[in-house]
Amino acid sequence: MISVEREKPLACWKGKDAYDGSVLTTLTVIFRTGGCAWNRCRMCGYRHERYHGLSGDALADRIIRQVNWVKANFRDDDYQMLKIFTSGSFFDPVEVPPPVRDAVAAAFRGKLVIAETRPEYVATDAVSEFIAGIDTGEWDVPLYVAMGLETTDDGIREKSIDKGFTFADFTGAADRARAGGAGVKTYLMMKPPFLTEQEAIDDMHRSIREAAPLSDMISMNLCTVQSRTEVERYWKQGAYRPPYLWSVISVLLKAGPHVLCDPVGGGSIRGPHNCRTCDHDIIGAITDYSLNADRSLLRAVAEMDCTCKKEWEFVCSREMPYCMPLTR
Amino acid sequence: MARYDIRLRDGLARAGVFHTAEEPLSLPAVIDPEKRFADLARMKHAHVPLSAPEGFVEEYLPDYETVVAVHPHSSRTALSGDVVMVGNWHTALGQPGRYVRWLQEMKERVQPDTVWYAPASALPSTVAFLIFSGLDLFDFTAVDLMTARDLYCTPEGEFPAEEWLGGGGCPCRGCAAGDLGMHNRLALAREIAVATRFLARGQLREFIETRCRAHAPLVALLRLFDGAYDFIEPAIPIVRTAQFRAYTAESLRRPEVRRFADRVTGRYVPYRTDVAVILPCSARKPYSGSRSHLRFRTAIRDRAHEVIMTSPLGLVPRELERLYPAAHYDIPVTGYWDREEREFIASTLAAYLGRHRYRRVLAHVEGGSLDIVADAAARCGMEIECTCRGHPTDAASLDALGAALEGERRKVPDIIRGCLSWQFGADIDTRGLMLKGKWMNQKVVRGKEQLFSLDPATGFFRPTFAGWDLIPEGYRIIIDNFVPKGDVLAPGIVDADPAIREGDEVLITGDLAVATGRAVMGAREMLKSSYGVAAKVRKVHKFAPDSP
Repeated sequence: MISVEREKPLACWKGKDAYDGSVLTTLTVIFRTGGCAWNRCRMCGYRHERYHGLSGDALADRIIRQVNWVKANFRDDDYQMLKIFTSGSFFDPVEVPPPVRDAVAAAFRGKLVIAETRPEYVATDAVSEFIAGIDTGEWDVPLYVAMGLETTDDGIREKSIDKGFTFADFTGAADRARAGGAGVKTYLMMKPPFLTEQEAIDDMHRSIREAAPLSDMISMNLCTVQSRTEVERYWKQGAYRPPYLWSVISVLLKAGPHVLCDPVGGGSIRGPHNCRTCDHDIIGAITDYSLNADRSLLRAVAEMDCTCKKEWEFVCSREMPYCMPLTR
Repeated sequence: MARYDIRLRDGLARAGVFHTAEEPLSLPAVIDPEKRFADLARMKHAHVPLSAPEGFVEEYLPDYETVVAVHPHSSRTALSGDVVMVGNWHTALGQPGRYVRWLQEMKERVQPDTVWYAPASALPSTVAFLIFSGLDLFDFTAVDLMTARDLYCTPEGEFPAEEWLGGGGCPCRGCAAGDLGMHNRLALAREIAVATRFLARGQLREFIETRCRAHAPLVALLRLFDGAYDFIEPAIPIVRTAQFRAYTAESLRRPEVRRFADRVTGRYVPYRTDVAVILPCSARKPYSGSRSHLRFRTAIRDRAHEVIMTSPLGLVPRELERLYPAAHYDIPVTGYWDREEREFIASTLAAYLGRHRYRRVLAHVEGGSLDIVADAAARCGMEIECTCRGHPTDAASLDALGAALEGERRKVPDIIRGCLSWQFGADIDTRGLMLKGKWMNQKVVRGKEQLFSLDPATGFFRPTFAGWDLIPEGYRIIIDNFVPKGDVLAPGIVDADPAIREGDEVLITGDLAVATGRAVMGAREMLKSSYGVAAKVRKVHKFAPDSP
């Protein structure tokens, strides 16, 4: 039997997201592309997902076929917001050839689009062109350029992530995005490798505070252990532990602005977790807060008692850079 | 200036006194790192995992004031008296293969007279092993974490405090007060003290063999350490006075066992190679003090070379029966040899018989032992004659043994030649030499001149200056221009024979004097240390001022 090869995105699913005080239905698409040009981040498992050795035209064709797949499988009326991820940068013309951007704009015209990219690919022209393609006047700001700042601490970004850009690079890109008419969504990363639990918490407090004035939305990702990554190697050797969910709620509760947080992989040993007894309730509270910005449920679970809370408090006070992680 | 006065050593383990500006500290010990090394907590974002690659380590391994942070993949080293910190060592405990490799990389790079701090690693169930690994300084972080988890610490493992705090049978103050945190800390302090006592007894190995059973990685580690023979063996003393308890499967793999067998099949020179008789061992050591061996010897009447087969040592020629550990080992007897034991004895015996081609080999053993001898003989193409008719001490067996030796030449065992070849690797002409004196006070003389005395506790030969004249090379320590008095310190040593082990007899030579003595540390440590007694001097001979 001959298998019919159909191009489809790496992943595509519908969900709900908070936006401007209301809840929108969102379609999230992760496109397979030419791959991230940087490709060095220590925790990134998408780096292996790419087309190899395709010419620009062939690559564009493959990605446009993925767009068509999305159009064929999800009805336009079923969602308002579109979140686009690639394994790298949507605005990198080598990874995502410009004809693809035009095709995406045409295909999803009228949607509120959030597209992820590294700051060095944010060019005012490209942003305004894309906006011209999708804008129907439905949204005040029809495009948000999303960037993985991860932390505002350049030292941590370099050592723990190997991200390859600075806070200043991000600020410049945010300015360019705004000049092109887009908003800015900032992704932060809680607890990349080499940080103690308390250092990770402090890093997020500070990063939220410092990124807030530059961001229309802040989303905090929780570091997970993905296959075939440097983080996975350390994790297998007992040298890395994802954040405690207790840490996550303490960060969210103390944050000034509403911080979005989707606890992906929550409760599993490869994701943010506590002792597994209390994980479920806390994940529910985080998801709830992320959607409706109401801190009451978050406060309630923070007050909850669990045997692992004493352990977490101990880890926060006694885990040091020279003796970590203390727990698995 | 800080210095670590190491008083006891055994393998990688050490104990002693750490002298600093503060109160002297007996090691191994638990300290409060926040008090003692206050700058550790101030350094933020300073984590470097043990498996981090070289470039990362070079860039990020922090420089502290109070300790020297070392890392398996860093070339950083330390000076005498420094505290060396092996960060995140608790994560190595779960990775036995890397644990041994990393430790070797660091121990071979950093000089030995430094104090090694392993943060957050010590639990009552692991600390003995950490001490065994050559770590000296610990903290309460790991036990306090167990307290936070409501776990009750014992040397046998960690258990729910709910059941154990009242029911663990512990008489400590913490248990009396229902204070889990206090119990856990006391349990760690106690285990460090107990391990140190075993170290002082020369039985840390025996202690470790029982303690490692709480966690599978520790058992794996013990076996891997034994596999890393070239790393571990130079640090193992050549003699001990303590009993050598071969009570576990792992004891068969002890470096002392392999070293003894290697010397028997390599260095040792038998005094005759015409007729050998292989005998079973006895519970009593040395064997010749046993009733069974008295009977064998009566039947043999010096007409054959007596070689005793045994586990775990493989084989012990009669002349070597008083040497450590031949006279010191004890093994549980069931009458059953397991596969590992059979293989070890057979391969050792085959190597020995292959090297020394006896005209006749008699096997005065039965059953499983006879199978092993037959196996060994087959491997090296020798014929054996079995002289057992039932049990080896049965009259029929002894008669058969005597009859088989009918007409063979009588020759008294040459203990001097045998022991000296094993101990010094030298084949000495022993004509004119005599072993004199009673059991506890034996000496080797030539006419009226004393050449050696015998250490009754270890079976070792202690050469006089005249004795050293018979040993052409090896076991020499070269010192600087000074006349040693009492002890020779490590910094005074210019060179040392790499074969020297702790407990070895040595000849100390310099421009101003020559001295006999005993090594207190192995050659590697002598050459790399800047502090500490390297050898104890017995006799000094000063050269006349004008004749260097």
